[in-house]
Amino acid sequence: MMLVNYIGAVLLLATGFYVMMTKENIIKIVIGMGIIDYGLNLIIVSIGFNEGGTAPIFTMSELKPGMYFVDPVPQALTLTSIVIGACVTAMALTLCIKLYEEYGTLNSSHIRRLRG
Amino acid sequence: MIQHFPILSIMVLFLGAFLVVLVGRSRIARTAVVSAAVLTSFALMVALIKPVMIDGQIISYWMGNWAPVSGYAIGIGIEVDALSLFFGLLVSLAVMLSGFYSFKYITQDDSPDLFFTLYLMLAGGVMGIVLSGDLFNIFVMLEVMTFAAVALTAFRSWNPNAREAAFKYLVVGSLGSTFVLLGTALVYGQCHTLNLAQISGLLSVNGINPTMTFAFALLFTGFGVKAFMTPFHPIAADAHAAAPSSVSVLISGVFTKTGVYGIIRVSYFLFKSMGMSSMQTGLVFIGCVSMFVCVTMALNQHDFKRLLAFHSISQIGYILTSLGLCSAIGIAGGLYHAINHTLFKGLLFLTAGAVLYATGTTKLEKLGGLARRMPQTAALFMVGAFSISGIPPFNGFVSKWMIYQAAYEKAAETGSIGYAFVTVIAVVTSVLTLASFVKVGQSVFFGELPVELENVKETPLSMRIPMWIMAALCLLTGVLPGLMQQYIINPAVRATLDYKGYIDAMMGEGYAAAHLADTVPLAEAKYTFAGAWDPAFWLVLFVIVLLGVTVAMMIGKSGRGAATAIADDKHDTFFGGEKNTFSQVGGGDLFWGFKYNFRRYLNVMGNAHSGVVNDYVTWGVIDLALIIVYCFIFM
Repeated sequence: MMLVNYIGAVLLLATGFYVMMTKENIIKIVIGMGIIDYGLNLIIVSIGFNEGGTAPIFTMSELKPGMYFVDPVPQALTLTSIVIGACVTAMALTLCIKLYEEYGTLNSSHIRRLRG
Repeated sequence: MIQHFPILSIMVLFLGAFLVVLVGRSRIARTAVVSAAVLTSFALMVALIKPVMIDGQIISYWMGNWAPVSGYAIGIGIEVDALSLFFGLLVSLAVMLSGFYSFKYITQDDSPDLFFTLYLMLAGGVMGIVLSGDLFNIFVMLEVMTFAAVALTAFRSWNPNAREAAFKYLVVGSLGSTFVLLGTALVYGQCHTLNLAQISGLLSVNGINPTMTFAFALLFTGFGVKAFMTPFHPIAADAHAAAPSSVSVLISGVFTKTGVYGIIRVSYFLFKSMGMSSMQTGLVFIGCVSMFVCVTMALNQHDFKRLLAFHSISQIGYILTSLGLCSAIGIAGGLYHAINHTLFKGLLFLTAGAVLYATGTTKLEKLGGLARRMPQTAALFMVGAFSISGIPPFNGFVSKWMIYQAAYEKAAETGSIGYAFVTVIAVVTSVLTLASFVKVGQSVFFGELPVELENVKETPLSMRIPMWIMAALCLLTGVLPGLMQQYIINPAVRATLDYKGYIDAMMGEGYAAAHLADTVPLAEAKYTFAGAWDPAFWLVLFVIVLLGVTVAMMIGKSGRGAATAIADDKHDTFFGGEKNTFSQVGGGDLFWGFKYNFRRYLNVMGNAHSGVVNDYVTWGVIDLALIIVYCFIFM
């Protein structure tokens, strides 16, 4: 069951790296960065998951023996990671807009004044 | 009382960042808030020198007082040992001096209030990394720092290259953050904790399984991105050249140090992998490649700040190399070089900023003869150039000397010729550094003064004072190595090699003894200076270099034919006549003969730094793959 998650996450990561390495459109590069983020989030959430576990909140009902819950820490990490990912995307897109205004293109092989 | 100092020194910077947004429109309020924040932060760090460095105390602090429950860390910890404090001092000093410099410098840009917001965010993020005791907290601070640095790189609206540099920086930098986060997640999956001390203890007990090897490779590469080790160096060059100079000081002197700090923590403390000779070789190899590739790239540059940027990474290569040697003197040399790097590189970037402030350009071809118009800046530049090239009275000499000695001792100890060769590379790099600073000095401060620069004035006093302080510190750390070692360097070396105290301070007395029972310290934290050197070493060195040059010349001869077109007459044989009048050697082209003879190598390197962001990402991913493979084979 969890194996599917990990395979999916690795596929997402690989797709993201592939996009970042080969796509010349800088918007697509930003999308690649986003895909990598999703893959990472999936890995982190999967690490904390317990089959059949409940939500880690104790205030609502009484505890029964044999009850267990999913690890809350990775969920908190994922939340942070999602927020950071959103910031990265927003900032990268802002820069894309500026680059398009200045260079008149979104092709990364033409945005290369700084080289050598 | 004293345990609140670290968190306060982080918080005042963030608090200052938010206050500047509110009151920053007025110049006086802005100056007051920023000065108060950076001064307080620095003062709090200095106040910790006595208890931490001299008395050997380790300060641990649980945010919200969430102390560990039955041996499991549940809160976020702040922990300061001598190593953290060493980097904390470095960071807060550079932030303070560069901040004072910025007050006047940044008046040429629009919205200086926002500049200082980002500036303090960057400073706070870096402080958070070096003082934190929690792996995920380090990641978050890493992201805060990276964002602030990217935004500051893009800050100069009138610099046409700024957005491009920032975009590349963001893409490659987030690649590094991705590696760190993935490594953190894997470590959490294995240890179920994010506390550095507890991870270190648990990893000793559990041993290193393949997942942890993978996590190590990811964390190492991720922090390597932040230190701009070799395949990631092009973005650093772009970013330094585009950012305002006071930010270049932070990116070069402070930002890269977090990468170095991360590598030390990961390899020495968390995974304890530096005891393995294969890991030592790996880090030394990366360091040597960084220092050599970047110094040769610097020879080919025509922009003052871009040239300085390549030298900055080259010096980081020295630090990584000597940390990889994993002997007490190696680590001491590396840490000493880290503090020196912050000082002289900061000074050089500030002089570059002064030149830019006064003339409006950093192109080497357009500058010249500024020593007559800006005598103090020229003198300060000379101090920085002497320091970075390792000329004796200045600080670069001491740390480079320690690094050479460490590499030779390592060679003697292991009996491998490779480590002797490391010294040769380090010395050659140092010579090339000097050569390239001769070129910069010639083309910026000496030679003929262009007509357009006749009216240039010396920079304002408020910009010169931070530079003079840095220059004085360059000299002081050079002439008083004994004091530096006793109070600053040696405690940090001891903390690097003997981390039991760090674990005990965080997890409670006896935790380290229970978990680290069978691990021995990597090396004795004692070393002696080779005060009087052995001339035999220098003879051997000389012979090796001579042989190398001869071999290189023979290889070069066999391959050189008529196919290479000579673009400029100055490379041609001179027979007479007046033709040569039109092909003068400019100040920025002082080493044209040298460059001509190495043109193949320089062309290949120049083409490799293609400026296409996809290429840089590809390098990064390939580098990660290589490091993972290396770790799986040898760890």
